[in-house]
Amino acid sequence: MNATQGILSAAIGGLLVMGLVGNAAAADMKMEKCYGVAKAGKNDCGSKAAGHACAGQASKNSDANDFVAVPAGTCDKLANGSTEPAGAMMMKK
Amino acid sequence: MCQLPCMAGIGLRASHYQQVLEQRPALGWVEVHSENFFGGGAPLRTLRQVAEQYPVSLHGVGMGLASPDPLDAGHLRELRRLCDAVNPASVSEHLCWNTVGGIAINDLLPFPYTRDALTHVADRIRQVQDALGRRILIENLSYYVAFRSSEMREEEFLTELVARTGCGILFDVNNLFVNAVNLGVDADAFIHGIPAEAVGEYHLAGPSLMDGCLVDTHSAPVFDEAWDLYEKALRHIGKRPTLIEWDVDIPALEVLQGEACKAQQRMDAVGFTNANYSVRGELVEP
Amino acid sequence: MTHWTHTLAQFSSVIRNGADFAPGEIICPNYSVARGVEVYRNNYRGNLHDTLAGAYPVMRLLVGEDFFRVLAKCFIEQHPSRSGNLHRYGGEMAAFLTHFERTRHLPYLPDMARLEWAYHHAYFADDLPPFDLSRLASVAPDSYGDLLWKLHPGCTLLTSDYPLSQLWLAHQAGVPDAFDINMNEGGEHVLVHRNEEGVELIHIAPASCHWLLRLQRGLPMGVATEATISDYPDFDLATALRHYLAQGVLVGFDIAGEEG
Repeated sequence: MNATQGILSAAIGGLLVMGLVGNAAAADMKMEKCYGVAKAGKNDCGSKAAGHACAGQASKNSDANDFVAVPAGTCDKLANGSTEPAGAMMMKK
Repeated sequence: MCQLPCMAGIGLRASHYQQVLEQRPALGWVEVHSENFFGGGAPLRTLRQVAEQYPVSLHGVGMGLASPDPLDAGHLRELRRLCDAVNPASVSEHLCWNTVGGIAINDLLPFPYTRDALTHVADRIRQVQDALGRRILIENLSYYVAFRSSEMREEEFLTELVARTGCGILFDVNNLFVNAVNLGVDADAFIHGIPAEAVGEYHLAGPSLMDGCLVDTHSAPVFDEAWDLYEKALRHIGKRPTLIEWDVDIPALEVLQGEACKAQQRMDAVGFTNANYSVRGELVEP
Repeated sequence: MTHWTHTLAQFSSVIRNGADFAPGEIICPNYSVARGVEVYRNNYRGNLHDTLAGAYPVMRLLVGEDFFRVLAKCFIEQHPSRSGNLHRYGGEMAAFLTHFERTRHLPYLPDMARLEWAYHHAYFADDLPPFDLSRLASVAPDSYGDLLWKLHPGCTLLTSDYPLSQLWLAHQAGVPDAFDINMNEGGEHVLVHRNEEGVELIHIAPASCHWLLRLQRGLPMGVATEATISDYPDFDLATALRHYLAQGVLVGFDIAGEEG
């Protein structure tokens, strides 16, 4: 029996004796749990044509705006989040 | 298997789950979109809790009964599993397609009402009913273009589907109103054309007028013209479970309840239930 | 006359690619055919855009709503929907971003897309019954090394060069007031899975990630454990096994060389 077999037998043997209850998280697992928010289902049957931000997007004007659009959300606030100096994307067109 | 009570209900959306579960407001029944509860986890758990309090109607938006592509077996399996999990009082789908050549358009799309299409759709309704072991209701569609190649009107198509498959009809009154305004569909002919005893549910919602086209946005109170059509339907077809749908710019629950109340008052005023009305051959008393 | 299914194929192309119907094929008495078709084109893009916005809320905050709309438009052009269930749409986002020039200067974005899809996937994953320990009791100790553990199909293991879960967490209540995140401060291993309380992101130790990844690839427990211990001598198998079984990450097993 090799070393690994011994480790496996000890681990499973322990499980069978002790069960799954109790605090199993060891220090090495560095548990930091984060929970997210609930999601609303996206399948619905209301037409999107009225007032939707995408309505009329096929127009030439909006395509021209699309061409120069750059990411402009919270990404700008991250330290070392960009591989280019600020403003570089604007100049590139 | 229970049935929907012959009362007004509301479309239940995520923004109202918590309020409904905590306050248990007086609602005749609720309807949800089936696909939003496929899989497990929080959505299914929530729906199970709702189903303990209210009769639930599962209203599908993604089966694409008229799609030329083969029926999505996985989708059907998920619907079957959902039915097993929540024991819905009613299951419905739309008279529409969504997938061709493997590509889905996630919308409710119209098609030419031809005899070939009728054979195809009837076959697929049978497949769904066989898989679910129950009758389903098929909803008439709101549409913005009509096809010259259509060989019959929508109500004739629906009537044939009922005859061939034993399915029921979900009569969306607002859809009929929208089609009458946009495409000149004859609303009276529709109301008189469908078999009254097959109608198992009404839908009501509010559309939006955009650039000369009345769009079925489910984003407003029911229009007066649609209330008039609803009253006509109540007189000719009879009282049926009636749903207020609201999917975009969803207002406070009380607003939906107010709309449901208006529907209930009209139902009470008519006081007539077609004696032949049945789903699965059982009579339902209001 | 055109067969009705050909009309639908044409309709699909009209909606997605801006093609036109044959003259006279469509009737719109009260407005132009173009107006009628526009409703469907708007719905198509609107539904898919909203679906992507629902699956990638943090990414949307990172790049801003306006740019997200442009990004979604480009994504939709390359990746049509394949399912009537919108919750299945958008899984190729991380792969798409690795080739998307306009966000190339934000190298952590594909990883964030992976993380958000993992969350979305876990959120809608099927429920599975808890693991039955008595099944394990019937396995002969000689066969322990041959156990092929199955991970819950809803769980995902991610390795990133960036402090990904920290960035994700900072956006959970919407746009954060201020950031104290340095993208150079180091990467992490994240396990995304759902338990009874909901979907959780767990920052896990490299050894645990190493081991779970090998199990996920279908390696027998003996081989996987040996490989992990050789790279991480401190790896504690007993704790890991017990923890991931209790958490519902490991949901069952087969035995290598046996049927079924």
